[in-house]
Amino acid sequence: MSRRTPAAVGLAVLGLAMAGCTSTAPVDAGAGGPITVAAADDACDVSTTEAPAGTISFDITNGGSKVTEFYLYATGGRIMGEVENIGPGLSRQLIVEVPEGGEYETACKPGMVGDGIRGAFTVTGSAQRSVDTDTRLAEATAGYQRYVNSQVEALVPKTQEFVDAVVAGDVEGAKALFPIARTYWERIEPVAESFGDLDPRIDGRDDGEPGVEFTGFHRLERDLWQDGLQPDSTAIADMLMDDITELANRVPSVELTPLNLANGAKELLDEVATGKITGEEDRYSHTDLWDFRANVDGSQGAIAALRPVIDERDPALGPLLDERFAAVDALLENYRDGDGFVLYTALTPDDIKAMTEAVDALGEPVSQVAGVVSS
Amino acid sequence: MLGNLLIGLREGLEAALVVSILIAFLVRTDRRSALPKVWLGVGIAVVVSVGVTLALTLTQQALTFEAQETFGGVLSIVAVGFVTWMIFWMRRAGRSISAELRGRMEDALAMGSGAVVLMAALAVGREGLETAVFFFAAAQAAGETTEPLIGFLSGIAIAVVIAYLVYRGAISLDLGKFFSVTGGLLIFVAAGILAYGVHDLQEAGILPGLNTLAFDVSAAVPPDSWYGVLLKGIFNFSPATTVLEAAVWVAYVAVVLPLFLRPHRIRTTTPA
Repeated sequence: MSRRTPAAVGLAVLGLAMAGCTSTAPVDAGAGGPITVAAADDACDVSTTEAPAGTISFDITNGGSKVTEFYLYATGGRIMGEVENIGPGLSRQLIVEVPEGGEYETACKPGMVGDGIRGAFTVTGSAQRSVDTDTRLAEATAGYQRYVNSQVEALVPKTQEFVDAVVAGDVEGAKALFPIARTYWERIEPVAESFGDLDPRIDGRDDGEPGVEFTGFHRLERDLWQDGLQPDSTAIADMLMDDITELANRVPSVELTPLNLANGAKELLDEVATGKITGEEDRYSHTDLWDFRANVDGSQGAIAALRPVIDERDPALGPLLDERFAAVDALLENYRDGDGFVLYTALTPDDIKAMTEAVDALGEPVSQVAGVVSS
Repeated sequence: MLGNLLIGLREGLEAALVVSILIAFLVRTDRRSALPKVWLGVGIAVVVSVGVTLALTLTQQALTFEAQETFGGVLSIVAVGFVTWMIFWMRRAGRSISAELRGRMEDALAMGSGAVVLMAALAVGREGLETAVFFFAAAQAAGETTEPLIGFLSGIAIAVVIAYLVYRGAISLDLGKFFSVTGGLLIFVAAGILAYGVHDLQEAGILPGLNTLAFDVSAAVPPDSWYGVLLKGIFNFSPATTVLEAAVWVAYVAVVLPLFLRPHRIRTTTPA
C-alpha cells in the first residue's frame, strides 16, 4: 500500500462518518407519536394534518404497487423534507425540523412523477425557544423591543428633518442634523443591520466595491462635507427616507431572542472599536463620537433589559457592567462640546488610546452576558 | 415486487458501474496486484454505510433531510472529480502501454494507488447510505412480507450481473477500443453523477432553481419503468431535469469530451 493510501482511506471514512454527526435529536415518540402516512397508487392519507412546530416525523407506508416518494413542502414549493424510493410494501421515516408555524403541503408521488397527491398541512406555533419557558427572559426581550421601537419612532422624523435640509440645499442645517439623525440608527444598529438589503443602502461606506452604488447617510455626508451637493443628492436623500420608512415598517416584525440582545450589546461595542475609535465611519464629517455615544447607549439598553436575568444568575456581573459603562460614560463626557462632541480630528493619539482601553474593558464583561443568558 | 427490484437494480448499478470499469482497467493493464485496493475501498464504503445506518437505527435517531441530501450531493461531486481523474489516468496509462513504456505505467499507478481505494469507496459510498437505509426498511418489512426484500436483493443481483457483463465486455475489447469505449462511457456517467449531485444540493436548498425545469419527459420515460431505471442507474438520467442540472451536464461533457478525444500527441524522443 502506498504512503498516500491511509490518508485517502481516512478521508473517505471521514466523509461517510460526517453523516452520523448531523443527525437530529432522538425521534420523539411523545406528542401523539409519528404521523402515519398511508401511501397508495391513488391515495395519500396523512393521519393528522396538524402538528406543533419543531421536529416532526412521518412514518410512510407504501401500500401501493408503485415506488413512491413523500414530500413536505413549505410555501413557494421549498422542500422541507423528502423520502425517495419507498418501494411497494415498505415503510420509511421522514424527520423534518419545522421551526416556524404556517401552512405547508404534504405530497405522495406514486411512480415518482409529477406534482403528486397533495394535502394541506398546518404547523402551529413556533419551535420552543427560551423566551417561551422563562418569563424573565420574555420580559427582557419585550422590554428591549420597546426600546428599539422608541428609537425607530424618533429615527423617522429626525431623518426627515435631515433629508428636508438636504433637499432644500441648506448645507449648514443638514450638517448640524446629520449626527443627530444617525444617533437613533446607531443605537439599534444590530437590529437595523439584520435587514441585509436595507443596511448597505442606508449605512454603506464608499469602500470602492465594484457594482455597489454608494448611497445613504455616508454618501450625503460626503456631498455635504467634501464634494458639495451633487445633482443627485436630492434623489439620494429621498431614497434614504424611503429606506428608513421601510425599516420602520419592518422593525416591529423582528423577533428577538435574549441571545440576540446579548450578542447585539457586544456587537455595538465592536462597532465602536472597529469603526468609531478609528475615525473610519464618519470620515468626511468626523462626527464619530456622536455614533460612539449612540452605540454605547444601545449596548446599555440591551444590557439593561437583561439585567434582572443577569442579577439572578451571576450577581457579580451586574455591578461590574455598571462600573465599566460608567467609566466609558465619564471618559466620553470629557469630549462634550455643547450638545454634541468634539470632532474626531481633535483627538490626540493618547485620547484614542484611553478610549480603546475603556471600550475593551467594557467589552470583556459584556461578552460574558451571552453565556449567562443562555445557561 | 417489481418496484423494489427496480430500486435495487438502480442503486446497485450506480454503485457497481464505476467499480467494474476500474477493475477491468487494472486487469487489462496487468495490475491485478492493485485489485485488493479496490475491494478495500468498496469494503470501507459498505462498512461505513451499514455502520451509520445501524447506529442511527439502534440509537433511534434519524438523519435530517438536509444532512442526507448534502451528504449525497457533496460526495457525488467529489466522486466526479475522481472519475474524471480516472478517465485521464487511464488515457495516459494506455498511451504509455502502447508505447511500451511500462515504467511510466508504474509511475501512474504508484501515484494513483491511494486514489484507487478512495475512488472505489466514493463510487459505492455515494449511494451506499441510501441503499443501506432502504435495505433496513426492506429487512424490517420482512417480518410481515419477504417480498420487498427479495425484490430488492434480486435487483442488486441483476445489477451485479450487468456490471459483470460490462466488465467482461470491456475485457474482450482490444486495448485501444477499451480506452475510448470505457473512457467515453465514464464521461457520460460522471456528467450524470455531477448533475445528480447538483440536484441533491438543490433539494437541500443550498443551490437554487429546483423548480426551473429544462425538460420533463417523465411521461415518455417513467422513472419506475425498466428503461427509466437503466438510464438512471447508468447515466443518472433524470426525466425531469432542472436547468442548472442540464447546464452542468452540458458544460462537463463539452469540456471533458473534447479533451478526451483530442489526438494523442506523439512524443518525439529522438535525441537532438
